[in-house]
Amino acid sequence: MGEEDVKYVEITYRGIFQKRLAKYVAEGLVYMARDMGKSAVSFGRYGDSPERNGVPAKYYVAVGNVSEEDLIGYSTRVEPEYVDVIAVLDDTLLKGVESWAWQGVQPINLKLRKDGAMIVTSRKPMEEMVKLTPSKDFQWTLGKLNWDRSFSGLWAFNDDTTMERVWGAIAKVRPDIVDIQHVVSYVKSHKKDKLNERLKAVEEAYEGLVIKTMNPGEGVEFKYAPPRLLTWQEMMEGTAIPAVPRGGRNEQFKRGTTKTERPTVDFDACIKCDLCWVYCPDECFDKTPDGYYDIAYDYCVGCGICAEVCPVKNCIVMVDEKRLPDYTRPYGMWKANKVEYKKWLQNARAEVRERPIVPGLGR
Amino acid sequence: MTQVAEKEILLNGTQAVAYAAMYADVDVTAAYPIRPYTEVMDTISKLIADGQLDAEFIIAEGEHGQFEIVKHASLVGARTLVGTSGVGWLYAMEAIVVTATDRAPVVAVIGNRALDDPGAYGVEHNDALMVRDVGWLLVWVDTAQEAFDTALLAYRIGEDPRVLIPVGVSMDGGFLTHSEQIVRLPDRELVKSFLPPYDRGKLRVHPDNPISVAPQVNEDWVTEIRRQHDEGMERAREVIKEAYESFKKTFGRYPGTTRDITMPENPFVEPYMVEDADVILVGMGTVSKPMKVAIKNMREKGVKAGMLRIRWFRPFPAEDVMKYLANAKVVCVVDRDYSLGSPFRGGVVYHEVRSSLYDLDERPKVLSFIGGLGGREITIQDVEKIIKIGVEQRDTPLTRHTYWVNVRGDPW
Repeated sequence: MGEEDVKYVEITYRGIFQKRLAKYVAEGLVYMARDMGKSAVSFGRYGDSPERNGVPAKYYVAVGNVSEEDLIGYSTRVEPEYVDVIAVLDDTLLKGVESWAWQGVQPINLKLRKDGAMIVTSRKPMEEMVKLTPSKDFQWTLGKLNWDRSFSGLWAFNDDTTMERVWGAIAKVRPDIVDIQHVVSYVKSHKKDKLNERLKAVEEAYEGLVIKTMNPGEGVEFKYAPPRLLTWQEMMEGTAIPAVPRGGRNEQFKRGTTKTERPTVDFDACIKCDLCWVYCPDECFDKTPDGYYDIAYDYCVGCGICAEVCPVKNCIVMVDEKRLPDYTRPYGMWKANKVEYKKWLQNARAEVRERPIVPGLGR
Repeated sequence: MTQVAEKEILLNGTQAVAYAAMYADVDVTAAYPIRPYTEVMDTISKLIADGQLDAEFIIAEGEHGQFEIVKHASLVGARTLVGTSGVGWLYAMEAIVVTATDRAPVVAVIGNRALDDPGAYGVEHNDALMVRDVGWLLVWVDTAQEAFDTALLAYRIGEDPRVLIPVGVSMDGGFLTHSEQIVRLPDRELVKSFLPPYDRGKLRVHPDNPISVAPQVNEDWVTEIRRQHDEGMERAREVIKEAYESFKKTFGRYPGTTRDITMPENPFVEPYMVEDADVILVGMGTVSKPMKVAIKNMREKGVKAGMLRIRWFRPFPAEDVMKYLANAKVVCVVDRDYSLGSPFRGGVVYHEVRSSLYDLDERPKVLSFIGGLGGREITIQDVEKIIKIGVEQRDTPLTRHTYWVNVRGDPW
């Protein structure tokens, strides 16, 4: 029995909003695996910044039929070499994961091992989810936990049975890591209140998990290459780094995957006042030849300041990130077909987002 | 002794220390957030809010004030917990130094973190090591269990009337502060018998005991005050031994021992497979964990490797270092710190080890490995490489003292 016998569960979540949830999911898995006679530990990916709103972050559980000493030896890592199960707690993370580490925007299933499984908390139909999911060159399992994403604050835990559902779903796809009997017995022994509700949630997730076998190449192509970091001889001395050239953007650090909502612009209402461009803290607005402002969504963190400072009602409106599949810029869409754009805009704005933060008054 | 009330729960290193402070029934804690220390104060505040701990929780305006608060509280007889990381520790440095000279036995958790600049919250030991010369007891732990046990021991040792010296409990940022392991929590009644109430006696600042602490004295007194402090540091060795023995007697297990992990009975160091080893690795903190796996791997290939983990850095266990390293051919000291411009460009622990071995008639070669800075991993493969370098250097004249582990731009 050695390192190759260790299984890793990766919990991918959003900073602050899901920090407690991710930690509690991991904690339960450790207890369950130990009840099954295995060694188990958990750890946060330390290069992440989970104390910042929405920043993608990861938690890991290591489980193995090895001694605890060895397991800690193998898992004294920033992150494991591979993972066997990924639990994605917000389906907008399928667009990519960029933590505070300088590793670029990574595909959600980067470290998934052959025959591994990824479970996504989502209300989207499976076929829509497949169109958002990066392909792998081997066969693996995609699972959909049909449930709303759960957000709360840093200190609060939204005890809404999401945790129990994630456990039930993992037991369904990988009973070798934790099985359903041990999920149930853990819930029974550790949770005193709302027991029936919790057990029902476990069962619903276990029985109702939508499962699809993903064949090699199935899904979308997600180009990712780890950045080449400089040697000590190549770096500037004195902790200095070159500035991004004027008008350019940092290719190595984008931060767009942080957002859980984004500004939409009604160009027909825009008065070209420049305030969004002036106030955007991440310089996401690009002036167009005719004086409007296009948005680089891959750099937008969704802070909402543009919507707050925009003086025109319903010109810039924050919408839930889950309503949009990618980071296509709006100006080109509007120029190409203003009628279609209006429809697109109405659709994006159809649902008012329940916000963990209140960024502005622009609606 | 039976331990009916013992239980096991999942805690990371910072939580484990906060739990230990609860078991030690601390009176005052002063807090100021900085990662990776922050979860200590988070956990303490939760324990207070949940009614499990009755203590003053004081939010300081910064780390300097934070350490001043606990120093004063300790001088009037309160048991205290404090902690910080990286530059927070340095910002408090003036208060930290006087805490030691005023002989206030506060217990400080240092979630080891790289010093700015550049910004990084990963582990480096240079933060805690900044006080290595000014009379703090310093200890490094490598599991959550050891963090809990050592924090309890720290109160017992620091508060002993023969010692009265503050204790810095260091743990690696990320690899221990943010990693959860199962911790055995003892029966609280047993803790009471292990840890007597804190009593400064005649050194307690109180209206009924009028004394003044820290006068201006200049050349007339300073040398004698340092000499006293030096003696207290030396007396701590015996007190540490007693405390570990007493811990074992009280709780029925040696500190750091869990259901799954056994600790050899030596308070100062953890020897691992040293008996027949040609190449012995030395390190502090969680680097011990990949080291042990790598040693097992290399032994399967016929390489006789071992490890000596330094637990107590102050007082430094020179005798144990001599005892366990005397028969090695090569000693590879892995420093998660740096001492730029030092002899042979080596790390801090390297110099301590090398100096400790000087009086041996036959000395092993001592190599310095600097790595794992700013939170970078020292992997099992890195350790295997270190052992290989040790083997290569065994039978040849020493050509190089210091290696940087896995740095971009140097061969590795």
